[in-house]
Amino acid sequence: MIEPEHNSEEVTRVLFQDFPEWMVVSFYIVAFAAIAVFLYGCYVQIRKYRRGASVNIKDIGHGIADMVKSMLAHKTLKRRDKAAGHAHALIFFGFALLFIGTSIITLDYDITGPLLGLNFWHGSFYLWFSLVLDIAGVALIGGLLYMMYRRKWLALPKLDYARPDRSPEDPDYDRNSYRREDWAFLWTLIIIGITGYVLEAARLVWLAGDPTVWDYRWWSPVGTALAYVFQGLGMSAEGGEALRLYSWWIHGVLALAFIALIPFTKVKHIFTAMGSLALRDPTPSSRLPMVDLEGDKIGYNRITDFSWKHLLHLDACTKCGRCHEACPANATGYPLSPRDLVLSLREFAADKLEKGSLPKDGDALSVLGDGPNQIRSETLWACRTCSACVEICPVGIEHVPMITEMRRQLVEQGDMEPTVQTALQQIQKKGNSFGENKRKRPAWTKKLDFEIKDARKEPVDILWFVGDYASFDPRYQKVSQAFAKILNAAGIDFGILFEAEMTAGNDVRRVGEEGLYQHLAESNIETLEACDFQRVVTTDPHSFNTLKNEYPEFGGKYNVQHASTLIRKMLNSHEIKLKKKLSNNTVTFHDPCHLGRLNKGYDAPRESIQMLGANLVEMKRSRDNSFCCGAGGGRIWTPDPVDHEKPSENRMREAAEIEGLDTFVVSCPKCMNMFEDSVKSTGNEKNIKVREVIELVAECMGLDDAPEPADEKSTAEA
Amino acid sequence: MKILVAVKQIAALDEDFELREDGKDVDPDYLDYELNEWDDYSYEEALRIMEAGGEGEVEIVPVTVGPDEADDGLRRCLAKGGERGIRIWDDAITGSDPSAIARILVKVIEREQPDMVFAGTLSSDHSFAQTGMAIAAGLGWPHAAVVNHLEYKPGDSSAVVHRELEGGLEEKLSIDLPAVLTIQLGINDPRYASLRGIKQAKSKDIEVLSHGDLGLSDDDVGEKGSLSRVRRMVIPEKGQAEMIEGTAAEQAERVAQIVKELKGAA
Repeated sequence: MIEPEHNSEEVTRVLFQDFPEWMVVSFYIVAFAAIAVFLYGCYVQIRKYRRGASVNIKDIGHGIADMVKSMLAHKTLKRRDKAAGHAHALIFFGFALLFIGTSIITLDYDITGPLLGLNFWHGSFYLWFSLVLDIAGVALIGGLLYMMYRRKWLALPKLDYARPDRSPEDPDYDRNSYRREDWAFLWTLIIIGITGYVLEAARLVWLAGDPTVWDYRWWSPVGTALAYVFQGLGMSAEGGEALRLYSWWIHGVLALAFIALIPFTKVKHIFTAMGSLALRDPTPSSRLPMVDLEGDKIGYNRITDFSWKHLLHLDACTKCGRCHEACPANATGYPLSPRDLVLSLREFAADKLEKGSLPKDGDALSVLGDGPNQIRSETLWACRTCSACVEICPVGIEHVPMITEMRRQLVEQGDMEPTVQTALQQIQKKGNSFGENKRKRPAWTKKLDFEIKDARKEPVDILWFVGDYASFDPRYQKVSQAFAKILNAAGIDFGILFEAEMTAGNDVRRVGEEGLYQHLAESNIETLEACDFQRVVTTDPHSFNTLKNEYPEFGGKYNVQHASTLIRKMLNSHEIKLKKKLSNNTVTFHDPCHLGRLNKGYDAPRESIQMLGANLVEMKRSRDNSFCCGAGGGRIWTPDPVDHEKPSENRMREAAEIEGLDTFVVSCPKCMNMFEDSVKSTGNEKNIKVREVIELVAECMGLDDAPEPADEKSTAEA
Repeated sequence: MKILVAVKQIAALDEDFELREDGKDVDPDYLDYELNEWDDYSYEEALRIMEAGGEGEVEIVPVTVGPDEADDGLRRCLAKGGERGIRIWDDAITGSDPSAIARILVKVIEREQPDMVFAGTLSSDHSFAQTGMAIAAGLGWPHAAVVNHLEYKPGDSSAVVHRELEGGLEEKLSIDLPAVLTIQLGINDPRYASLRGIKQAKSKDIEVLSHGDLGLSDDDVGEKGSLSRVRRMVIPEKGQAEMIEGTAAEQAERVAQIVKELKGAA
């Protein structure tokens, strides 16, 4: 190798090389203008968020740490769409490196150089810098090419912005402008990337005679390869010089325009997504926002009622469609898509809150209604608060709390299904949604051949909070009886609250009737406080969720367990003695949302089933991707219309695809209620039985003396 | 304009209940109190007229005759709208029949001077369906009972009402104000009163009056002021139903046996 005649530590790239002064000045004018536009845009956005309601942010330090972690790992982006996640990582890291690189040049040339006489962008630092940025450019362009391919050729349904809940005449039906913006974004970035290489290659062709450039060309491998192509095509040094000048300007102006437009376009998700993730509430759906009932208003009606944090969440949405795909309401044709809800609200906020002043007529700020970008009440009532949307959202948007806040307003206005109204009125009067007399709550215990302790009168180890459906639903009463028998056989010291128990209020709160919820919580806590017990156990995931996560805010801090956890423990410790196993059964398990997604109780029911010896086969959608039975969030009180598929039917059809399936196992009274219906309405009742984990355990313990309902049927038919 | 809505906190029966020792009423231990279902509809109808009018144009006032507990019913109304309610009670009023209740309400109406008075067609506990019409008689106002549709804009001097008649027949008539209307179920979809709304309605004013405040004497109210009195309440014996079980042949045999028994008895 020939020793260079120059000092390699002085190698660098001469900025604005051979530019006339007016050109350099022009560039700085454009650059400052771009930064000014960017800053103005940021001001408009921040002003918009500040027009939202205030909110307490807890533990922002943790939030930021989590955000940085999930951003670096791209964890949330890779879920259920690995390829898109990897492509995004290429774009993200490529862009980040290129942006940092450009900033380093600015730092050296415009700040530390002129102000401190400190220049560091030369020599080996410069060479490594060139190499890293060349590779970053490949990553960026590669990622963008995949995204273009994905948008154009994969034709993913989740990327179709047409709204299933609008008709083509509606102004907010297909949102074509989003599609144009997506493509403008991809093309702008890819052209910036490509012109970067063209410019680099043209410069090499132009300065091929300069050893301080040419000898180091392989530190920019892509540019160099392209330079050889140009030379091969007959490009001269002069040609290189001219091309370099043009591509320099195209590259520079596009990059600056890109920066200027960040706050005005989807590009802002760079910032809003980070903010949204950092501010994310770790338990958005399991513990709904607290309300001061004495306050002037309740819930979200006007867009200015939204907390600034929720307004920021809206802007973080990148329309990735994961929630659209996961939502059980959307999947079965109800007029709700979490994505469309978020986008409507975002457009509404942009329309009303980005202008210099707020509209004079406060009612113009109401998000509830049938107008463009308003949220219809039927949309809000379609939600089952299963939290599939919140759980999969890669940027931490809190759909369920927002929906609940809007429902709180609907409840206040009295705008709800008559059946929901009846249920709430029954709960107001009688403490249960069945409209049954309080005295009937413990009626299911009469069929037992032993007495259950009254936890109000004597101390117990386990206080069993039975819940509404487990007390009154005739099918699930059998499960409650089986659970009592299991506990009794295992010698567990347990008791119930008899008629003093009221519905826990999980669904009442999710419907948006916060006043009634708080009344229920306070009444139940008062009852519980007067009892002597070690832990609370319930078979109902809804009661479990609210007792565990929501009662503490009202002073009810208890050790709360779901029955499946207790069952698993008793199986492990052999407190439960099995007389037989289910080795001949092929079963599948349906995760209840309030046990699984909301409280991560995925394993206890599965391990219990496996300890019974059954062959457990998973459905395609399981665990965090479990598909809601359709009963949550108060939807159990609204009959589903007969003319379209119910979520529970959709689910049962999925289960029926499992070869040889004989038992569909649930672990929730409401799931039981839904699937007992759908197993019949989908024509699967002959092949598949719907049973509770508890019933399986009772059967294996030899406690199920009563014949099974399906058996009765088969003998009757025979 | 003003609409007075007469409402009632009714006694709802449990499935199992016992009668009071004097046999004239149900043992109160077995009663739940709640707003009469018809009153949800009549109050909703008044609310809709209020909302159709301009700010402050229409005032609606729920009024009830009943003890302290009846405040709950008024609050349930006020939670939905309206700023004040009126409750009339003192011990002498105990035992009033619809004619005596109407006498009390007439006095309230003369004091309040409303343009319309709404009442439920009947109350679900005693099912007299008299109070509304007795009020109209006491006032000498035009009246319409069992109204299932109402067309009225605030400021109009008359209203068009539809009445439900026997055999699915409907009568449409126009009625001059002031008037008394008794409202039938199903005329609208009553809105829900949230618990928060009911609690907040506690800050709204409920004026409590005695019969004396209205210029009535002890002879005007209670049993003395009534045209009817409860003598006895009884639970009629239920007809005996028998579920016939067994195979088709066994069932047929049992049916034949019953027929024979009945013939023999006749």
